[in-house]
Amino acid sequence: MKKSILAAAVAALIAASTGAALADDVKVGALMGITGPLANFIPPILNAAKLAEADVNAGGGILGGQNFVLVVADGQAAAQPSVDAASKLVNLENVAAIMGALSSGATIASANAVSIPNNVLQVSPTATSPAVTDIKDNDYLYRIVPSDNYQGQVLANIVLDEGLNKVAVAYVNNDYGVGIANTFKASFEEKGGTVTAFEKHEDKKNSYRGELATLASSGADALVVIAYAGGSGAKIVKQSLENGFFDRFIGTDGLRDDLLIEQVGPEALATSFFSSPTSPGENPAADALHKRFDETYGEGSDKPFVDQTYDATMLIALAIEKAGSTDREAIKAALREVANAPGEVVGPGEWEKAVKLIAAGKDINYEGAAGSHEFDDNGDVAGFIGKFIVDGDSYKQIAVFE
Amino acid sequence: MELPGIAFYIVAFLTMGGIYAILCLALNMQWGFGGLFNAGIAGFYAVGAYTAAILTSAGSSAHLGGFDLPIVVGLICAGIASGIVGWAIARICVRLKADYLAMASIGIAEIIRLAIVNEEWLTNGSLGISRIPRPLEAFYSGRAAEVVFVVFVWLIVAVTFLVARRLQQSPWGRVMRAIRDNEETAASIGKDVQRFRTETFVVGSVFMGVAGALSAHYFKFFSPDATEPLLITFLAWVMLIAGGSGNNLGAIAGALAIWAIWSLTEVVTQQLPPDWATRSSYIRMLLIGLLLQFVLQRFRSGLFPEKSPKLRISREK
Repeated sequence: MKKSILAAAVAALIAASTGAALADDVKVGALMGITGPLANFIPPILNAAKLAEADVNAGGGILGGQNFVLVVADGQAAAQPSVDAASKLVNLENVAAIMGALSSGATIASANAVSIPNNVLQVSPTATSPAVTDIKDNDYLYRIVPSDNYQGQVLANIVLDEGLNKVAVAYVNNDYGVGIANTFKASFEEKGGTVTAFEKHEDKKNSYRGELATLASSGADALVVIAYAGGSGAKIVKQSLENGFFDRFIGTDGLRDDLLIEQVGPEALATSFFSSPTSPGENPAADALHKRFDETYGEGSDKPFVDQTYDATMLIALAIEKAGSTDREAIKAALREVANAPGEVVGPGEWEKAVKLIAAGKDINYEGAAGSHEFDDNGDVAGFIGKFIVDGDSYKQIAVFE
Repeated sequence: MELPGIAFYIVAFLTMGGIYAILCLALNMQWGFGGLFNAGIAGFYAVGAYTAAILTSAGSSAHLGGFDLPIVVGLICAGIASGIVGWAIARICVRLKADYLAMASIGIAEIIRLAIVNEEWLTNGSLGISRIPRPLEAFYSGRAAEVVFVVFVWLIVAVTFLVARRLQQSPWGRVMRAIRDNEETAASIGKDVQRFRTETFVVGSVFMGVAGALSAHYFKFFSPDATEPLLITFLAWVMLIAGGSGNNLGAIAGALAIWAIWSLTEVVTQQLPPDWATRSSYIRMLLIGLLLQFVLQRFRSGLFPEKSPKLRISREK
């Protein structure tokens, strides 16, 4: 019995290793942290990548009608397994490029250990750490979300525009919280505001009353919360309200979660506002994409990083089409050409049009659902930050900052 | 799938596998020779990784660093720093019986992790340290650099193995085994049990630090999320138990075998239909669990069970 199980396992391994892709597939790796700490975010993100894959194939395929195939790999949102997963994508699956990873630590480690030495283009839809900017990547690593530094600066402007000069800051002690909080503080104070208290906290505790009492005694007009709603953010807001510490909150994209409204109710958040990376003001292409997304998968188009993941996958596909082959060097060289102006604008769902333009030798400029994606020398984008308020049981965008 | 691709997958596999092999050999010194239940491996790994990162990385205003020292110096210092931490902990905890030592070491690893996350001037906190160099980077780039690094890692595996074997075969190793198997008897013939235990704990910690340093150089970036206990402490323990605790070759074999299970299961689950992408990752976790069960049940004392080295008794007298 045992032997037959073993034999079956070996047979499966052999079949797996020889069952390589059909000749007519163009493979791109999707390095996702499916089973790690980010597991909650994964289903809509994966659907966004699949929607992009389906759009390419429905629009006539890639490189003259070949099948565009995403190979999903699980990096568990940690460095060691992400490096291992990326190595399998590059060496065994022989992918043309990699979309991912999600967390910054996993992205940097997999790029340094796998993508850059193997000359594989890697585009992360979600890595926001400022450290991504400085990597010596020979131009192989890109991301299509603005660095946390950027959101911190914009948030400082938004808060000052509201007429708030004295705020306290509570931020979660991880790369997300620390990154935004530090740039927010520097930028806010430089522009004349006062940060009365600046406290970091650990995620997933039951009570934050101790920290909140300290923050409240500092005499601030409002509390800036830089944390994930599901981790500590919603609890901080709830406990502040219950104990009368604060009644006005300013949150980042981590807090801008339906969960927050469910837990404290819309009335309590009437004067609060939120910042989040967003699409440019009027973006019919994004609206159409969201509609198609919800039709295909039922729900989830408003979830975090759906737009970015779709765009990252689409940009890689366009770069491959532009390169005219799966030559990894050529793909890297083509990414900036298809993403940056000048060129004829193409958007989400316009794959067929893009292919025709490329075939005609025209320059194209992909303007995505999450922004226009103009890469600078470091492979970063400026992006847009939206200002959101609570409207009923969801959020409404009232202004966009660049 | 092409041949060069498979070859370079094996290079990447052996790099991570080699780092785990060092970790596993180090744990073997503590548990296999000395019977010391260290459940805080991730802490020593982190100390080593951060020491090497701070000493060898290019300058940064965000944290202590910018010493730009040679990598070998960084590795030695990583071992020393981790050894000093190990010594301090051993002084406090080594008298504890196995299960209490396990609890104490979990706690200490957590203290180290929190210190790393919070002492931003030293480690840049949760943002991590970047621009950590690799050996001979100036001369080799791209895939050649991968090969250079795997050779470097396995040279250190070889050094660790030779040290471990020498320790095991020496009179010191015999005393350690005696203490492990029967503390009172060893004490009754005049062996200083605490001193021997402290020594073995420190030696093991040194090599755990070296393993951490190597992974910092491999990723060229190190942040607290690379010290996840599941991927360091837990995995090193499974590797040692599967390979055969007390046997140095077993430690290396166990590291490679378990890392192969960890890595290759994904190749299998990737063959499932693409619609199953999320599910297949969880199926893989299930498969890993099943295979670990299988290995641990099938090979109770490990792939290579412990063999006591032969005594060479001199007959000249």
